[in-house]
Amino acid sequence: MSELDDFKATYFDECSELLTELEEQFAAIEAGERDADRLNAVFRAIHSIKGGAGAFGFSALVGFAHAYETLLDYVRDGRIELSDDVVTLCIRANDIVADHVKAVQTGEALPADYGMDEQRRFDLLARGQDGSDDELGGEVLEEFDIDFVPVMVNLGGDSADDEPPLADLAAPDAEDTFDFVPLQAEAGHWEIHFTPHRALYARANDPLLLFRELAVLGDMHVRAIIDDIPALADFEPFAVYCRWEITLVSATVTETMIREVFEFVEGDCDIAVSQLGAGNLRFDVPEPTEPAGKVSAEDRDLANFLELADDEVADVLNFAPEPPPAASTEQDTFEEAPGLSFAELIDTIQPSPPKPVAPPAALRTAPPSGGESEDGERRAVGVQSIRVDLDKVDRVVNMVGELVITQSMLTQQMDEHLRTRYTELVRGLEVLAQTARSLQDSVMAIRAQPVKSVFSRMPRLVRELATKTGKKIRLETIGENTEIDKTVIEQLSDPLTHMIRNSADHGIESPEKRLAAGKTEFGTVRLSAEQAGGNILIVVEDDGAGINRERVLQLARDKGIVAPDVQPTDEQIDQLIFAPGFSTASEVSDISGRGVGMDVVLSNIKKIGGSVHVRSWTGKGTRMTLRLPLTLAVLDVMLVKVGGSPYVVPLSSIVETIQCARASFERVPSGGQVLQVRGEYVQVIDLVQRFDMQTEVEADNRFVVLCEAEGSSKVALVVDDIIGQQQVVIKSLEENFERVEGIAGGTILGDGNVALIVDVQGLKTTIVHKSAA
Amino acid sequence: MEALSLRDDLGDNSAVAAHNTLQLIAFSIGDQTYGVEITTVREIRAWNGATPLPNTREFVRGVINLRGTIVPIFDLRARFGDGKTSPTKNHVVVVMSVGDKWVGILVDAVSDILTVSRDDIHTVPEGNSIDTELLNGIVTHDSRMVGLIDLHAVVSGARVEV
Repeated sequence: MSELDDFKATYFDECSELLTELEEQFAAIEAGERDADRLNAVFRAIHSIKGGAGAFGFSALVGFAHAYETLLDYVRDGRIELSDDVVTLCIRANDIVADHVKAVQTGEALPADYGMDEQRRFDLLARGQDGSDDELGGEVLEEFDIDFVPVMVNLGGDSADDEPPLADLAAPDAEDTFDFVPLQAEAGHWEIHFTPHRALYARANDPLLLFRELAVLGDMHVRAIIDDIPALADFEPFAVYCRWEITLVSATVTETMIREVFEFVEGDCDIAVSQLGAGNLRFDVPEPTEPAGKVSAEDRDLANFLELADDEVADVLNFAPEPPPAASTEQDTFEEAPGLSFAELIDTIQPSPPKPVAPPAALRTAPPSGGESEDGERRAVGVQSIRVDLDKVDRVVNMVGELVITQSMLTQQMDEHLRTRYTELVRGLEVLAQTARSLQDSVMAIRAQPVKSVFSRMPRLVRELATKTGKKIRLETIGENTEIDKTVIEQLSDPLTHMIRNSADHGIESPEKRLAAGKTEFGTVRLSAEQAGGNILIVVEDDGAGINRERVLQLARDKGIVAPDVQPTDEQIDQLIFAPGFSTASEVSDISGRGVGMDVVLSNIKKIGGSVHVRSWTGKGTRMTLRLPLTLAVLDVMLVKVGGSPYVVPLSSIVETIQCARASFERVPSGGQVLQVRGEYVQVIDLVQRFDMQTEVEADNRFVVLCEAEGSSKVALVVDDIIGQQQVVIKSLEENFERVEGIAGGTILGDGNVALIVDVQGLKTTIVHKSAA
Repeated sequence: MEALSLRDDLGDNSAVAAHNTLQLIAFSIGDQTYGVEITTVREIRAWNGATPLPNTREFVRGVINLRGTIVPIFDLRARFGDGKTSPTKNHVVVVMSVGDKWVGILVDAVSDILTVSRDDIHTVPEGNSIDTELLNGIVTHDSRMVGLIDLHAVVSGARVEV
């Protein structure tokens, strides 16, 4: 059971990759790159999703994916024009596929008719464009578990419908076979060679059951080949001496269906499926079709060879006029087969496109075909990456963090005396330091992923927004290969969506207004990512109207966000759009304008240790800049002392630090203190009191750390001393203990001691809670 | 429930257990000896200070860095209500795994490894709820009483009740 769950998890991983790929491909298709490669990639992705879904019995997903695939197939062979409408429909279909995948992943049930409208539209398109295929098209759409092949009379590629086994889903090229030269083979007459191995019986499989299942597919004739049975004296009780030849006649059966019957014994038997068309199609190779007997041994060699050399043979069959080196090394083996040379085999096969293709059938992996160019690269890419559990990577990240800390501890132990005395040791430590640092960088790079995965969702969003608002918007993305820590990427999607919505909804003007302002009809939203030092900058820029400062300020005053007597600078006004409860849209639109949104952006970004900055030019546009840390594992902090213990405060939340002697505290009736800073009154939390500790530091020598909590409200923390600024690795307290109020976690300092991370937000809320109680 | 799962811990993966015997690490607090099952002990280290945790009960001495992991330290004396230990370099922290968590227990000294028979484990006399809560049982060794610590009970209730 757990193994199946593992497979499922892998499948869902792959689905999310494939869905991302779909987004990318359609983004390109939408941009006008309507070439066959794109469509093929889309087709492959959908097919892979369908294949895996079939294996797990997600029938709703299979059904929809199949109908979609059929549409794509029609588009691919030109029977349906890839008009904008079709693209829109396809994009919608991608969503539905994604929803289906999500539904099966989470175990939620979708409405039974979910996606049926779209399916009907596929159907209509198929019928409308190709009246002659009316009946077939309909049938295909309804009976999805029959593959699309019967319809594809002229395109062919019978082997294309080979459902990729799960393992092949990872390889995007599993579907390459549809590039095969067209086949003329008539459907209906199949010959199956079934040679069980000992393991098949050992796993308690019964060939009889398989045959019964086969018999359901059509007229079947089974012949057992028992020539191998030895004399009783030599008879080995557990050996396998029998194999079978099966002829199956059915108009509707496909190779896939036959293979599905043998799906669960795959690997425990040799199975060759070949299609016998009209007489002339019969494959003239003395291959396992030859009745066994005297040459059975060679036959088996041949079969084995065919399996082994499958790829090579397929390559030869398809492209290479002369055998590639790999294949020629196998030639000797091949020649052992009576009356057959490799060259002859090629001669036999090449001129006649309709291949019953025993070779590709011998292995379930689809042999490579199609141009070497793109598919070749794809394969190379596939091999060069491995899937690793994120936990494992995190463990390595942690340990490397420890290594770096240990190394700096060692370095700190070095005094002048040791330095002069043990120069070799010092040199060794220096090398160790360097290695440790570069190890840390490399490990961090493992967690890093290109922002592409988030960026690729945005073209669709912009498109939808443009449709809904009637504006004309173009999205440009730059630097999508910039890499950020995976966790940061995960947290990035929502804020970015909000920002782009904001740009499209509030920033870009309607085409008429734009033309009137002397701009082009098309508004541009530019999304870019770049690395700047230890940060990643993500910029969302539009060439719209810019922020209407008068209105923003007016609204902010109306809502009490800005006091009436305060005159903020332009830049401060711009930042107001991130204030909670603020929305500039005069009408609440479907898209944005509910007043949540931009403040969500701010809080989400702060949560991951980033910051947001907005800059606007009236009439020219707005630029919002997200500054994000490269990684979440490392936090920039200020190290402080509270009652003799080290504490750290995340630097991202610190506004400024003030010496207590210079700070102006005031008393409030509750006995607490407030701090007056630039006309603002801020709640004061003395960490020594709050944490119930003692201090000997004189009040005037202590420090105020002014922090910004969520929602840009401030809080002043009083600490004993400020030690400095550094980077730390965040550790969980809950792992071995439990949550502690006011503490966000722990970290280990250079001297090996534990410092606690102050939870600024948590401190503030607990105070509020107490005063309310 | 907690006591039950501890009993499972004791019974599991231990060849010793199969012979119906139990190996204990014995440690002392004052002149009293206590023991924990040896398979739960991960490490024994000298007291080297801990970073105090705010807003916790007095028997939580703080947290230490155990090779990159933050591990809380419980003062067993304080847990028994005898006041906080004033630890010196000679005091010992016994790091143990309780469920899936690692915790350290501050004791005066580790004295011995004892092998006792399961049949010799006596139940804790009813009377004081603290005793029955914190001890799983009592064994006799060298005609002295060794209290078997219920780790789950010791580490629970660490937070200040509001």
